[in-house]
Amino acid sequence: MFMTRSEYDRGVNTFSPEGRIFQVEYAIEAIKLGSTAMGIQTSEGVVLAVEKRITSPLIEPASIEKIFEIDRHVGCAMSGLIADSKTMIDKARVEAQNHWFTYDERMNVESITKSVSNLALQFGEEDSEPGAMSRPFGVALLFAGYDEKGPQLFHLDPSGTFVNCLAKAIGSASEGAQTSLEEQYHKSMTLKEATKCVLGILKQVMEEKLTATNVEVASVTKEENYHMFSKAEIEEYMKDL
Amino acid sequence: MSIMSYNGGAAIAMKGKNCVAIASDLRFGIQAQTVGMDFEKVFPMSDRLYLGLTGLATDVQTVVQKLAFQLKLYELRENRPISPKTFLSVVSNVLYEKRFGPYFIEPVIAGLDPKTSEPFIASCDLIGCPMEPEDFVVTGTCAVQMYGMCEALWQPDMEPDQLFECVSQALLNSVDRDAGSGWGAVVHIVEADKVTTRRLKARMD
Amino acid sequence: MAMADIYQNNYMSMAPTERRFEPYAFNGGNILAVAGEDFAIVASDTRLSQGFMIHSRDHPKAVQLSSSTVLAQSGFEGDITTLKKHVKIRIDMYEHNHGKKASTSAIASMISKMLYYKRFFPYYVYNIVAGLDDVGKGCVFSYDPVGSYEREQYRAAGAANELLQPLLDNQIGHKNMEGDFLPLSKEKALQLCIDCFISAAERDITTGDCVFLHVIDKDGIATKEFPLRRD
Repeated sequence: MFMTRSEYDRGVNTFSPEGRIFQVEYAIEAIKLGSTAMGIQTSEGVVLAVEKRITSPLIEPASIEKIFEIDRHVGCAMSGLIADSKTMIDKARVEAQNHWFTYDERMNVESITKSVSNLALQFGEEDSEPGAMSRPFGVALLFAGYDEKGPQLFHLDPSGTFVNCLAKAIGSASEGAQTSLEEQYHKSMTLKEATKCVLGILKQVMEEKLTATNVEVASVTKEENYHMFSKAEIEEYMKDL
Repeated sequence: MSIMSYNGGAAIAMKGKNCVAIASDLRFGIQAQTVGMDFEKVFPMSDRLYLGLTGLATDVQTVVQKLAFQLKLYELRENRPISPKTFLSVVSNVLYEKRFGPYFIEPVIAGLDPKTSEPFIASCDLIGCPMEPEDFVVTGTCAVQMYGMCEALWQPDMEPDQLFECVSQALLNSVDRDAGSGWGAVVHIVEADKVTTRRLKARMD
Repeated sequence: MAMADIYQNNYMSMAPTERRFEPYAFNGGNILAVAGEDFAIVASDTRLSQGFMIHSRDHPKAVQLSSSTVLAQSGFEGDITTLKKHVKIRIDMYEHNHGKKASTSAIASMISKMLYYKRFFPYYVYNIVAGLDDVGKGCVFSYDPVGSYEREQYRAAGAANELLQPLLDNQIGHKNMEGDFLPLSKEKALQLCIDCFISAAERDITTGDCVFLHVIDKDGIATKEFPLRRD
């Protein structure tokens, strides 16, 4: 089959002459269309916050979920294609349960992230295994958890790269949010301060007005494990914004 | 399941310094079901002579009566108490008579010689093969456990009190690891001038 | 016996001669583990036998899996070798995948699952895992061949387990005794392990030659040997 130079970005498993795999890079770009998600790691625990885009008053806000429980000690926030995230969340949950079943201990956040990252590059065109993806995943994930190393926050992108972060923003407003995080983050932050911080940044960067319904907040601590904030709890924080 | 473990039970005899001990559990069961909790398996045969029998309960009773009968004949005929060693021969012969349709029991014998007060212990298999070891004899569904206990606990020349502790610990800890025996125990310490019989407080399960 | 077989099968009756695959053998020996407050001891004899045949007088039954975990095995040597290899591979893989040492309780749980995955063609192996737990306390895990497992303070397994377990009940568990007891010291536990094997060697023909001791504490794993009767 004839291919012009400009067609290197069609094949998902073809390097361009510059050594790039365009489809993976495009997938990373796709995240920037997603809703903004943020996480901060403090010494007390980790907090995750995501904006929910409620595009119509006829949508039931509770049916849009962007933060998931992976195991009792790990939560995950996503940005990008929601449907793609389901596969990865499922994988993370299965791996975490399988680890607990086999070893009678909770899986480390890094190990969970690593097991999901293995999915990220399992795509191809022809003669790939049945059920395999034909394109890269269009999601970025933030894994927040508490394990033997303490509070942990990991960022995973569609290339399968994962990084341990103190604070990270992904999604459409990630650039602005990340800058704000870098300004506001400090090592001695309490979990409360961190929660206030992420909500404050979300308020700044979101197009719609921040309410208790169009945002999701969850924390993971040693004492409480994974905890999804109720509407009342979010409202409590919003008072001080 | 072997007919030897149909009713369950354990018996043990031990030699000490100028004394012997003989003990048994009290369980009478039918396979896994416990029927009686007061079934002694040690029988006084004469003044300083005791017989312990484990195995099929009906044969235990038959053999005890048969041996008591033989013993009375002996004492009437000879007009003297039987020595434990002679009694062992009687037991052995009674059992071997039924070589091809045996009583399903295994006896232990403990006693002091009527003349010399020499301690004596012995055991037989179900067809009467005798054994006279220096230290201890065990029989019953937890014989293996008792071997383990006795090998570690027994020492030569134990005084009566020491012997009582030793035989009691050996028996109790063994029956606790056997579902077929337990439910209390009885211990006889046989000395030249007295016989002390004690019931042991044990776990009842 | 062989003559009797020929006589019975081919002369007296016309019954067909049966041949069958025997997948299991029993290679004897004994294993034993005791947990103290801050240590654990694993003892095993070094005889490898089959029936009346002694294959080896110097075959250890316990193996170190990590700096704080020891695995002792008895049963069918073929299955022991295979299971042991798989366990070691799985521990190496665990360390690569998770970037940390596998704890004694994680190894214990993993072995339980490995045994259960062979539920319908089991490894004929009795396992005991001993070592220090996550907080540095001594621990012993014992198994049946299909993976049922339990954390205990002491356990004997193998050919003479019935001889030794009541003795451990009495001497370590203080069963059928009254009063207060001192916590188990390392010296007493060590001597008890040796005494157990001396007793077992008296009555069990598959136990003997030598008892091999692993002492696991916070400083690591020390090994000791003690000779047993060789008959």
